[in-house]
Amino acid sequence: MFDFQTLIQLIVSGISVGMIYGVVAFGYQLTFATSKTLNFGQGEALMLGSLAGFTIMTQIGSIFGIPLPIAYVLMLPFVLIFGMAQGALVEWLGVRQAIKTKSEAGWIMATIALGIIFKNLAENIWGRDTFTFPNPLPEQAIQIMGIRILPMEVLIVCGAIALMAAVEMFNRRSIYGKAVVATAADIGAAGLMGVNTAQVITLSYALSSLTAAFAGVLVAPVTLTGAGLGSALGLKAFAVAIIGGLTSGVGVVVGGVLLGITDRLTGYYISTGYQDVPGLVLLLLVLSFKPSGLFGKSAIKKV
Amino acid sequence: MLTVENLVAGYGKVRVLQGISLDVQQGQLVTLIGSNGAGKTTTLRALSGMIKPDFGSIRIGGADITGLSSHEITRKGVAHSPEGRRVFPVLSVEDNLVMGAFTRLTGSRPKGDVKADLARMFDLFPRLAERRLQLAGTLSGGEQQMLAMARALMLNPEVLLLDEPSMGLAPKLVEEVFSTISRLKAAKVTMLLVEQFAAAALEVADYGYVLENGRIAASGPAERLKNDPAVKAAYLGAAH
Ligand SMILES: Nc1ncnc2c1ncn2[C@@H]1O[C@H](COP(=O)(O)OP(=O)(O)OP(=O)(O)O)[C@@H](O)[C@H]1O
Ligand SMILES: [Mg+2]
Repeated sequence: MFDFQTLIQLIVSGISVGMIYGVVAFGYQLTFATSKTLNFGQGEALMLGSLAGFTIMTQIGSIFGIPLPIAYVLMLPFVLIFGMAQGALVEWLGVRQAIKTKSEAGWIMATIALGIIFKNLAENIWGRDTFTFPNPLPEQAIQIMGIRILPMEVLIVCGAIALMAAVEMFNRRSIYGKAVVATAADIGAAGLMGVNTAQVITLSYALSSLTAAFAGVLVAPVTLTGAGLGSALGLKAFAVAIIGGLTSGVGVVVGGVLLGITDRLTGYYISTGYQDVPGLVLLLLVLSFKPSGLFGKSAIKKV
Repeated sequence: MLTVENLVAGYGKVRVLQGISLDVQQGQLVTLIGSNGAGKTTTLRALSGMIKPDFGSIRIGGADITGLSSHEITRKGVAHSPEGRRVFPVLSVEDNLVMGAFTRLTGSRPKGDVKADLARMFDLFPRLAERRLQLAGTLSGGEQQMLAMARALMLNPEVLLLDEPSMGLAPKLVEEVFSTISRLKAAKVTMLLVEQFAAAALEVADYGYVLENGRIAASGPAERLKNDPAVKAAYLGAAH
């Protein structure tokens, strides 16, 4: 017996979680573009963002007695700044030296290690248990033709798209954004333009963690939050970045949504125990047959 | 303007430049010629900070720039149009030029009139004007070469380093490149030109240096080098 309504319902909720994967994967792309390195602690950056957001929001809420939606909006700039600082710290502590000495293993080990440290730190500050993140929007689902959509799910999709669009606008329109694009294209030539490319790499780490922190406060109201929030999400987003391609902005959105939907479908029709399997299988398939990702360009044409 | 003394540089443990000295006066066009692998590109890379010198000193207008990073050297007014053009393929022609003016737009060099300079570049290289919004990666080799030169000029440089601007171009385009260089010279742009077409380079230059195996083998006013029998035999033969 096949219930079409349920299928649509699963797809719709898969889209919102998929957008989260997409945004975090987009963060992986940002550092890869400028430095060919990845922050394997992206998931922990997301978790820290969500926990910092929780604390800031409850502080704002309790001190001034401000309603939740407003407290949520007021919290955002703090979390974004927090994310940037955290990302810059990761670059400074773990990546800069490895880039200088051209050590491949260096940044991999360092970003993984920093991720673990951040997780331990979070466990000590916020405890090991999961807890609910205050939902700024109504808990009641909107009904559209029998499909239930949470207001927060709508906000996730819009927020994710808005953030990626904002970064894209920065890259296209501002002189500093163009410097980022130039650094990604040819770091030596960018240096000749007078661009401090080491700073651009730091900036890309800051933006990458900002993205993750933002994703953290977007997703937390519909899931639970806690020090364990990041690990699974970080790995999923990494799979998305590989599946979609480390160079394709469209790729991570499509890859994220694809993975979000397959997660939900497997969880419902097969077993929640196998929920993570299809995505990882897809990851393995892409790695063996199209390592540049489904949407990745192999190389830019040189004349 | 640019003074290099006893410069030693290379890649890792490989020393390419064995101690070279050269001088580029303000408003002069100086050319550096030599066979493949002599170290011409390496010299320009060391001057613009793309590689760090092991020894020696580089000064620009009296300021010591030895050992600075390339972005710091650029901020002192050294523009480098590198070997292989290295335009930004994913940026438009115009954005490539804007990147040439990055230091001016971000306050580390006097701003001047960037818009007017853009217009000037499009006058100097009309082909680029037609392709203003096209991605640089889709330009032909010759067009990319013009873009690389124009991008370097957007710095309003104290000195312009040109690495084989004629490389890989059809004869007609080579002529065009040299006539552009003459026009820049007439406009009093200080230049250090590396060229494979030694005869043509000595024709436009004021002064020349001949590089051999990382050493300066000969130098002098271009007029004199052109007629030097040894230089003639080695660099101005039928092959050049
Ligand atoms: N990145 C590099 N790493 C190691 N060795 C290099 C590198 N680039 C150049 N070399 C070596 O340095 C020497 C000088 O090279 P360079 O590119 O400066 O020569 P050139 O005079 O510019 O020659 P050409 O006319 O072919 O451009 C060569 O022996 C070359 O093999
Ligand atoms: Mg060369």
